[in-house]
Amino acid sequence: MRTYEGEFTIEQPREKVWDFITDANKVGPCVPDLIELNVENANRFSSRVKVGVGPIRGKFDLAVELSEVEPGSVMAMTVKGGGMGSGVDMKAEATLSDVEGGTLLKWRADTSISGPIASLGGRLIDNEARKIIEKVFANLKTALDASA
Amino acid sequence: MALPQTEMRPMGKPILRKEDPRLIRGKGRYVDDILLPNMLHLCILRSPYAHARIRRIDTSKAEAAPGVKLVLTGEDLAKMNLAWMPTLAGDVQMVLATDKVLFQYQEVAAVVAETRAQAEDAIQLIEVDYEPLPVVVDPFKALEPEAPILREDKEKKSNHIWHWEAGDREETEAIFREAPIVVKQDVRFQRVHPSPLEPCGCVADYNTATGKLVFYVTSQAPHVHRTAIALTTGFPEHMIQVISPDVGGGFGNKVPVYPGYVVAIVASLKLGVPVKWIETRTENIASTHFARDYYMTAEIAATEDGKMLALRVKTIADHGAFDATANPTKYPAGLYSIVTGSYDFKAAFVEVDGIHTNKPPGGVAYRCSFRVTEASYLIERVVDIVARRLNMDPVELRLRNFIRKEQFPYRSPTGWVYDSGDYEKTLKLALERIGYEELRKEQAEKRARGELMGIGISTFTEIVGAGPSHSFDILGIKMFDSAEIRVHPMGKVIARLGVRHQGQGHETTFAQIIAEELGLSIDDVVVEEGDTDTAPYGLGTYASRSTPTAGAAAALCARRIRDKARKIAAHLLEVNEDDVVWDGAAFSVKGLPGRSVTMKDVAFAAYTNVPDGIEPGLEATYYYNPPNLTFPYGAYIAVVDIDKGTGAVKVRRFLAVDDCGNVINPMIVEGQVHGGLTEGFAIAFMQDIPYDADGNCLAPNWMDYLVPTSLDTPRWETDRTVTPSPHHPIGAKGVGESPNVGSPAAFVNAVLDALAPFGVEHIDMPIYPWKVWKILREHGITE
Repeated sequence: MRTYEGEFTIEQPREKVWDFITDANKVGPCVPDLIELNVENANRFSSRVKVGVGPIRGKFDLAVELSEVEPGSVMAMTVKGGGMGSGVDMKAEATLSDVEGGTLLKWRADTSISGPIASLGGRLIDNEARKIIEKVFANLKTALDASA
Repeated sequence: MALPQTEMRPMGKPILRKEDPRLIRGKGRYVDDILLPNMLHLCILRSPYAHARIRRIDTSKAEAAPGVKLVLTGEDLAKMNLAWMPTLAGDVQMVLATDKVLFQYQEVAAVVAETRAQAEDAIQLIEVDYEPLPVVVDPFKALEPEAPILREDKEKKSNHIWHWEAGDREETEAIFREAPIVVKQDVRFQRVHPSPLEPCGCVADYNTATGKLVFYVTSQAPHVHRTAIALTTGFPEHMIQVISPDVGGGFGNKVPVYPGYVVAIVASLKLGVPVKWIETRTENIASTHFARDYYMTAEIAATEDGKMLALRVKTIADHGAFDATANPTKYPAGLYSIVTGSYDFKAAFVEVDGIHTNKPPGGVAYRCSFRVTEASYLIERVVDIVARRLNMDPVELRLRNFIRKEQFPYRSPTGWVYDSGDYEKTLKLALERIGYEELRKEQAEKRARGELMGIGISTFTEIVGAGPSHSFDILGIKMFDSAEIRVHPMGKVIARLGVRHQGQGHETTFAQIIAEELGLSIDDVVVEEGDTDTAPYGLGTYASRSTPTAGAAAALCARRIRDKARKIAAHLLEVNEDDVVWDGAAFSVKGLPGRSVTMKDVAFAAYTNVPDGIEPGLEATYYYNPPNLTFPYGAYIAVVDIDKGTGAVKVRRFLAVDDCGNVINPMIVEGQVHGGLTEGFAIAFMQDIPYDADGNCLAPNWMDYLVPTSLDTPRWETDRTVTPSPHHPIGAKGVGESPNVGSPAAFVNAVLDALAPFGVEHIDMPIYPWKVWKILREHGITE
């Protein structure tokens, strides 16, 4: 289990940010290296993404579910899937709070990676996973900023 | 074509290996070279999780994939009562997982297809729905009350498998209570893998017309495999032929039966065609049996003048998900109680606890007699720490505590009876050869200049040649071994043995033994092993047991032939049998050396001119049950220099003086010592199989699990003393494993000797440069 976390401020009111991050239609496209996206409903989407860690290159199928923990301020996202004989399980949580000039989004993701990608990627996996997850939230911020 | 070497009386001569012209020209025939008509290929789907419940397996897409002939899951095997199989340690192991997986890379499903590529592609199409469960990687945490129970199938609801002890607890405690000095040290022997060049694999060939199953497998113990297959599958044993062709390295990895073998056999039985399964490198390292993985604590009670009195050892053994260690039934921790080593302790007490974790099963004897490397490393490491605490030279402490040569046969405090040895002589030869006094002077000068140089000593005793049948067995089969010799009319010999070599040179050494006993040239003798339809039953080659057991059987079998030959010689010489003498080359009439017949003359007569009352032919079989084990030993010295900037250790010199009793072929002994030292070097400096907290194997390939090349390997110096085994027919003891058993401690002791000025007493293997660098930095030696 690896934990990654971060935070950023968005120059938008909290309700608007909340609506965005709890909508699968909006969050889905923020997944990096997306090949295919299939939004099932407002809370669920599945996607196929390109993955490369060390000597391994391939595709992962991910099922993502969004849920409200504390309406208006805390939401959770679970990601489950895998490919190439490997698996990924992630539980992420985002907490919103009002700050001067906008909304602060704090996120934390507990991630388990299993199978050859964790083994073969060896010491590369940590940075690679961090990069991907940070990219998800960076994309979120970009999309949110753009929607302002 | 072997090189002709018409050497008579070949014993003890450095005769070139008969197998080499075949092997070094790429003409060896390994299991993957076997190509049979209509042969299909098997691949195995493995678990990405170290611990997970299997909710569902959907094989429909794989079944529809191009070329696919069969998909098997644990449920399919369960219908045949084959989802589980027995291990060599009396536990059971999943063949293909049914309800849950217990280690990463565990076998989950299998695909048989027309080509290997099709099978590889199709396993990717099998959908498995896993529910991840909490993972236990650390064996100490496995014992905590809140740890999840891994083996739900077992009656005992605990991750603790067994407790085993040897020696006398009370006597040991009593000495410790009174002892002026007690030295205690935790020592880890990390998880390593034999990692042979050729991974495991097989071809199962069930013939629907004859009902016979021919099973080609890269095996160190083909007869045991035949019996294990018969026991597991219920297939009649006389209809199973196991053929172990040339083996590309074993080192203990090819003793067990692996799930892939059972699946290949089931597939061939179902499809009626040959099915081949060959592992990938990752499958070999990450799923077949590992070695070591012991967490050891040793305490030595001693007097201030350096007499070691008693030894106390506690050990936690990580056995992984299934208890599959390859040890004799009576000895779940193998021969680990040899841990008193070369020293005359008054008392000792040894405890070991076997523990389940979410890791692959194993505990094979990786180029060592069962768990002897762990024991030898521990005692040789801790003896050095005792010397440090007493401010004594490690040589002096050893000399003061050795079992003396007049004490043999010596009964150790844990119950072993050492056959023979002269430890002082061997160590003194090593000291003289390496120039010990000068090296210590050089070291003192270098220390004064701030340079880091270390000298490490290991004076180990091994215990090999299992074993006497009253104590040793595998799966209940007693550990004897066998030879069958047939002398043809032209005086040429074929010998078959129950063992199976993997580079040890049996085709040469056993030919030397037989030729010597029969007065023939080694060119007259061909040695064949590995086919259970032709070779007599034997337990196989591992634990340095081939020469102690099958080598003895070969000598005694040849003597049985000679006894019969003497009768025929008497007939040819027209004298009474009592008047016939054998001089090593021919039979002659007592007092008339000119009147003689050779073994070749006798062989021809055995088929053409047999006297009345004697059976025609000239052949014999011998099953040898050794009266005791043999106890080879050695004195190894390593000299290292440490780079202060990087922490890198350079092994400047390494001398191995071995005593393996009488030597059959000194060149082969030297070669075995070189190989074992290289493996010991790798273990000391390069090799480890770590797992992350989720149970992911972090070294399942040769990028992360390092195998030394010729560029990494130091130059080896060797020498020997000869103290024959008194109970072995030719006085031999076995040597293949001594260098792996004895060398890790010499390397590590040398590094710690170099670091002595900083008060560092121990570093766990592998000694990576960063570990040394960290210590140097802590002491302000480097930035």
